[in-house]
Amino acid sequence: MVQSNATRTLRILLAWAVVLLFVFPLYYWVTVAFKDAREIFDTPPNVWIFSPTMKNFEEVFGISFGFVTQREVLPGGGNFYMAPRLWDSIVIAVLSTALAVAISTVAAYALSRLPFRGRHHFVAWVLSTRMMPPVAVAIPMFFIYKDFGLLDTYTGVILIHALMNLPLAVLLLKSFFDDIPQEIDESAVIDGASRWLIFRRVILPMAKGGIAATAVLCFIFSWTEFLFVLTLTQTGLKTVPVVSSSFVTSTGTAWGNMAALGAAAMVPAFIFILLVQRQLVRGLTLGSLKQ
Amino acid sequence: MTAAAIRLRRMVSSDHPLPWLAPLIAMLVVFTVYPLIYNIWLSFHEYAPFKRSLVYVGWENWAQLMADERFWASLSVTFTYFFVVLTVELVLGMLLALLLDSDEPGFGLLRALLTLTLVVPPAITGMMFLLIQDPEFGVLSYLLERIGVIDSTTPILATGSTALFGVMLADIWQWTPFMVLIFLAGLRSLPPEPYEAAMLDGASGLQVFRRITLPLMSKVIAVAVLIRGIDLFRVFDYVFVMTSGGPGTATYTVSLYAWQQTFSFIKWGYGATISLVTLALILLIANLFIWRAKVRW
Amino acid sequence: MREQDRKRYLADLTDRYVKRRIGRRDFMRAAGKLGLGLGALGLSRPFGGNFIRTAEAADLKPSDEVLAWVKDVSKPFAGTTLKLATESTPPSNAINSQLKPYFEQASGMTVEIEVLPLEQVLQKMTLDIASQLGTYDLYYIDQSWAASVSRDVFDPREQLAGKPELAMPDYNIDDFLPALVDGIAKYEDRWVGVPYDIPIFIMMYRRDIYEEMGFSAPKSLDEYLTQARAITKEKGPDMYGATGQMKSGHYSLECDWTAWLWGHGGSIFNADEKFTGNDERGLEAMAYWDELYKTMPPGVTGWTWDGQGQSVAQGVAATMMSWGEFFPYFDDPSATKVSGLMEAVRCPPPKHPLRTVEQTGFGEIPGVGHQGGSSLAVSKNSKHPDAAWIFMQWATSFDTQVLITALGGGTGPTRESVYDDPRIIANRRVGPGTTRHLDVVRETIANDMGSEPDLPQWAELSNDTIPVRLGKYFAGDYGSAKEAMDDIARAVDKIVAG
Repeated sequence: MVQSNATRTLRILLAWAVVLLFVFPLYYWVTVAFKDAREIFDTPPNVWIFSPTMKNFEEVFGISFGFVTQREVLPGGGNFYMAPRLWDSIVIAVLSTALAVAISTVAAYALSRLPFRGRHHFVAWVLSTRMMPPVAVAIPMFFIYKDFGLLDTYTGVILIHALMNLPLAVLLLKSFFDDIPQEIDESAVIDGASRWLIFRRVILPMAKGGIAATAVLCFIFSWTEFLFVLTLTQTGLKTVPVVSSSFVTSTGTAWGNMAALGAAAMVPAFIFILLVQRQLVRGLTLGSLKQ
Repeated sequence: MTAAAIRLRRMVSSDHPLPWLAPLIAMLVVFTVYPLIYNIWLSFHEYAPFKRSLVYVGWENWAQLMADERFWASLSVTFTYFFVVLTVELVLGMLLALLLDSDEPGFGLLRALLTLTLVVPPAITGMMFLLIQDPEFGVLSYLLERIGVIDSTTPILATGSTALFGVMLADIWQWTPFMVLIFLAGLRSLPPEPYEAAMLDGASGLQVFRRITLPLMSKVIAVAVLIRGIDLFRVFDYVFVMTSGGPGTATYTVSLYAWQQTFSFIKWGYGATISLVTLALILLIANLFIWRAKVRW
Repeated sequence: MREQDRKRYLADLTDRYVKRRIGRRDFMRAAGKLGLGLGALGLSRPFGGNFIRTAEAADLKPSDEVLAWVKDVSKPFAGTTLKLATESTPPSNAINSQLKPYFEQASGMTVEIEVLPLEQVLQKMTLDIASQLGTYDLYYIDQSWAASVSRDVFDPREQLAGKPELAMPDYNIDDFLPALVDGIAKYEDRWVGVPYDIPIFIMMYRRDIYEEMGFSAPKSLDEYLTQARAITKEKGPDMYGATGQMKSGHYSLECDWTAWLWGHGGSIFNADEKFTGNDERGLEAMAYWDELYKTMPPGVTGWTWDGQGQSVAQGVAATMMSWGEFFPYFDDPSATKVSGLMEAVRCPPPKHPLRTVEQTGFGEIPGVGHQGGSSLAVSKNSKHPDAAWIFMQWATSFDTQVLITALGGGTGPTRESVYDDPRIIANRRVGPGTTRHLDVVRETIANDMGSEPDLPQWAELSNDTIPVRLGKYFAGDYGSAKEAMDDIARAVDKIVAG
């Protein structure tokens, strides 16, 4: 189709307008992170012009940018130093992603290359494990974890987050493997290579992009998960979504601090997304275009 | 048949998938089959606060569930939420994907910006939309009031007829970009031939979409519906943070109800019963859908 | 005098006052000479911040005797880790961020405090009790849960008597305000811990608006309504005469309801332990509430105490009959627009005589000053109950409570003697963490306090059954208040009957 200049311009304008509309709440959230409590509650809300302060970031990350002297106890608030929690989040998200990707890559390869009876049903079963309401998983897991000493440990949270991501990761990776022509495996098999060797030396390098895309999705889902971390941790560790609720105090919500943590927490996840943007856009059909 | 081909066939057929799938199966059995069995067991028991232990109650939880108006009301809220949000995210996601499926300069950046919504934890998204929809201090309420969509005496989240939409808005904002990603992936892998043929025929843009794009994309759409649908049916974070199910029971979803029974009232057995019914419903609907839409993996 | 010098002089002056080297009158006079009447102290922002730091940092440390006792008694327990899950309230925050290190250093123990919103604390605690896991050594117990956990914690009186070698000298358990022990800690004949914090309903209003309108603090609930109407009429929609915490399905809505219910001589239960919110008094309260609701900002039905407090703090509402805990926050000029403009008084007296405990059920104590206090107790599941008991005594001792009140933002102390401590009195200036409302809090506790009934089902009734239906009522789902209250009566009686 040949697009006239006018439609082309219109399309560009429309695209920008829509995307900015989606970005607007985030922009506003970030401004909240830079406002003091009085400005957050200005009526009408001020969107563009305010006097930025680093106070919220200083309190949350325990660093001083030298603009204000930090109060030792915040009235009604308290200890908002959350930097270690960001670290907890990163450890959990990275390791649970690694685990989920490792298990699902191997499984997805088999599902893609080693036909067996009932494969379709098997995949459907894998997907169905995602249908369990998290509330129903939380209580039994609490008791298992209690018996195995996994409560309040990195290992415990990493396991459950990896599990939660498996169904989607398997589907996604299977679609990437399906995209790689069978003939490549077969020619290697003729050369006498074992399945494992083919998988490691031939298929894995070819599916690198897809694996990266899968990893990012797993990372994001672990990064944003709430209920499991809430139930299965105590004082030892906490991730950003759960710790955000401690900004809700008995004398009001510390919106500025919450927004500061939220804004800072967006950065690592977004960087990962940018790195694999291309693969993400290619692979998310989840293999549905294949027969 | 050549010797090489025979050898090849033998090797391929001797590849048993089990060793490859074992870790996956082990994880899923421990973390989902066990909880399932536990929940079934739990649904015939109830926590007795005076004994500090679980006691057997027979079918009592199930009988109670059948007669529980709150449960049925929450189920209908969940279905409304499910259908409305799914439809909006589908349509909006498709429109945006079509809009952004272009190699114009800057469009890569636009696609990246759109994915920003995905990295915000839903619990924080809920707080964020709670703030911007606050009738007194919220920027969204202010804007909507200025253009006359709402008036200041009917706060979005505290009015029975609009509260659910207020919650849906957060969901739609967060997950439409996910749909866009899936659809973009689909659009980009469509074969070019049908489009070239259509262009020669001089078909209009709308015709091309209806006759070519939509049928070719049907599987992608089906998968997107499945993935999102499962999550929508279990919606919890947004409702929990934004309305606590209110006003009244206008935004009480099944997940919130199960959570509350389990954690606020320590009725573990009843909570498990609610969860099981939810699971059964999702399984039923999803499998009907997989069968009707002929989704194959 | 240059600004710098003035600040330094004032800081020095305050320091001397706090250390009791000069008297209150001299302090006031000198401060007045600096052009700083009590009302103006700490109004400018950087100044406010400095004022607090210099004045308090010098003197606000735990007393050496207390720390020596901790050190001595904790010897067998060095290396123990204690865990506590608590709501994010001023005492817990002050301990967690400021005072804990002193205890840890003296005792050699580690204290881990998990700060959570209230409903998550309940979730953690009940899981811990049900699993008898003992991951938490101490429980933070909201008054509405006291009945359900009473058998899972130690009675502090028994601990004192049973372990004299661990008892803190001068702990003085009789120093806790008797009304609070009754309303918060006591269930049947047991003490469920000791009173730990006390948010309570007081009347707060904007002095400037009231002066402008020619009003004085309301003497009756009807006068309050009249004033609220007048303010909303005169200044709305920029300023409203009243505000509320009326989010459907949230505990806060139940709190507001009880204030009006008790204030009109009603009660939640009668002596037969049946719901009586639908009797004549109950309906009169609803009629009053309906009228008052019309004077509030339209957002109240979406707000918990959070939005309610914010509406006053940001100058949208002129009055609030609610948690006194907010008052020190209102005076913080870096967070609110009303610093120095708020006044605290006791709530207007009830319209009809209050019902007595004999006329109500489940130990309900009617009163216009609704209390939402909590207690702190050692869990019976704890693996280190003795170590936890040492921490608990320290955390609720006179010395620590003074520091909490001075450092943690002027929360209401639960010990009689803390109110009279000079360091607390010194903080009666305008500024973050002020204590200038504490006299009102103290009088309210003594005279006006209302306490919710104690029954194991109360958590469900107060967090769901009642506020969900009240929420429906304000959303217009019932034909009349009578219909709504009758429906609540049916539901409550059914749950109470089991």
